[in-house]
Amino acid sequence: MDKAIIVDHLVKNFEVIEKKPGLAGAIDSIVSPKKKIIRALKNISFTIQPGELVGFIGPNGAGKTTTLKILSGLLYPTAGFTSVLGYDPWERKPEFLKKISLVMGQKNQLWWDLPAAETLELNRAIYEIPKKEYEEVVSELVTLLEVGKLLNIQVRRLSLGQRMRLELVAALLHTPKVLYLDEPTIGLDLIAQQKMRDFVYEYNRKYEATILLTSHNMDDLIDLARRVIVIDEGQILFDGALEELVSRFAKEKIIKVSLSREDDVKKIETIGKVKKISFPEVILSVPREAVAVAAAELLQNFPVSDLTIEEIPIEDVIRKVFRGGMRRSLQK
Amino acid sequence: MSLKKYISIFKISFAQEFAYRINFIMWRVRNVIQIILLFFLWTTVFSDPSKVIFGYDRTKILTYVFGILVVKAIVLSARAVDVAGEISRGDVSNLLLKPVNFFKYWLTRDLSSKALNFIFSAFEIVILFLILKPEIYLQTNLFLLVGFFLSLIFAILAFFALLMITSFVPFWAPELGWGVQFLVIVIFTDFLSGGLFPLDILPSFIQKFLYLTPFPYLIFFPIQVYLGKITGTVLLGGLLISLFWIFVLWIAMGWIWRRGLLIYRAEGR
Repeated sequence: MDKAIIVDHLVKNFEVIEKKPGLAGAIDSIVSPKKKIIRALKNISFTIQPGELVGFIGPNGAGKTTTLKILSGLLYPTAGFTSVLGYDPWERKPEFLKKISLVMGQKNQLWWDLPAAETLELNRAIYEIPKKEYEEVVSELVTLLEVGKLLNIQVRRLSLGQRMRLELVAALLHTPKVLYLDEPTIGLDLIAQQKMRDFVYEYNRKYEATILLTSHNMDDLIDLARRVIVIDEGQILFDGALEELVSRFAKEKIIKVSLSREDDVKKIETIGKVKKISFPEVILSVPREAVAVAAAELLQNFPVSDLTIEEIPIEDVIRKVFRGGMRRSLQK
Repeated sequence: MSLKKYISIFKISFAQEFAYRINFIMWRVRNVIQIILLFFLWTTVFSDPSKVIFGYDRTKILTYVFGILVVKAIVLSARAVDVAGEISRGDVSNLLLKPVNFFKYWLTRDLSSKALNFIFSAFEIVILFLILKPEIYLQTNLFLLVGFFLSLIFAILAFFALLMITSFVPFWAPELGWGVQFLVIVIFTDFLSGGLFPLDILPSFIQKFLYLTPFPYLIFFPIQVYLGKITGTVLLGGLLISLFWIFVLWIAMGWIWRRGLLIYRAEGR
């Protein structure tokens, strides 16, 4: 089957006018505006298969949301080619819009002053969903997301978590084949986050929907995304399996040793960076290429009763990405 | 394209207006107070019923004042005043993501707002009529009544485009949205369209110039047609100019919209 999403040499520049603070600055920006080009996406390319669930990773301002917005037809690309289900997103053809959905954790489409049921009815009309199909989908989504009792309450009275789940119902009524989720668990408590993740997993499986997900929540990515695309400063740094990300980017490995005597702890610092000591266990981080030597040295010179070599946990690698450390560590 | 879509939009928009009952009532109260003020102003000026100024006697000037109430409710009440804010906040994304025509969507919401305002203004007129007991001029000429309704429809379409064009300013200057709208819609349009006083009390060269702009056709022209002060070829000529402006404004509206979308930033995050 054809690719669901094709992005080829995509570039997006924003033109912004710089403003200095204060009244003088405001006047200055009107009289002699200083234009600045922000290069949000610098030539990115990737493709996604139908039914794939891909996670977008990157620090704030990396270009994740910009990419999603271009793929849903909201932003006009500066250069490059994009295709979603064979459509050019920018044309925003009704047939295209009926097959996609963009859910943003901090934007809502539900009518604030009315019960969510009203928005759902409106969306039914807008997407021209047949009555029978509509009722089936609603009852299914409502059960999965446990929002049955919330449908007739004014949206403004709902909690954030309740509202987010109803947002999802509204966004998925037309059972989109391509779903963009931008920070779907932002601001949710742990239980609500888990519910959201379970649901996304279910939706992907059941409708064979292609899902692109951005999140700052590591659990979202670890639970859901088999494949991740790492993006920073508008460029793709990595595109592949989540586990591969670790072996590619973690420059170090973890050695855990159990010692039989405590007094040797000082000397151990010469072998690697000591991350944690809680006798008898010592955790060391050692450069990947030096790990065999370090292990041998430990076994020879220390009273080791047990030793294991491990990869750095995925969470730590991703955390590093979010701190913007990925690019710097690549350049080193 | 199905009509059902737009009926649904009409309904939810109507429900939404009711969610802001207090706001809505205050807005109506403001209109009523304005009318009462104008009423007393003009009854004082025309304290002698036989006095005629600028071609208005007391009956016609009072009909003009009541006409403003109705025509304003129909022409100037518009939900699309929200568009500027939606663009600068990036909320317009919600609509762009849906298989619905942007202009038809907002026109529908406007019509729903107009319907609501019309119902209320009709109600208010009955009450004001009972309290103030003014003499009202009733037009019976069918040709003029048709002209009146036609000019109202034209006015709605022209005002919609004017409002949209001013609402698109935030694409380029997000922080200017409200100011521009206030200037163009509230001050300019109300003043130049005859929403505050009949335009034919102005010097004739200003009137002639104004008649070439779209503004008088929003409020003044329809009421004049109703009052029978504009008839025959002048009426047809006016309708033609008004139609010309609708044409120009709608083309401009579409063009500016497409230009705006090219630089739209879908902000808010």
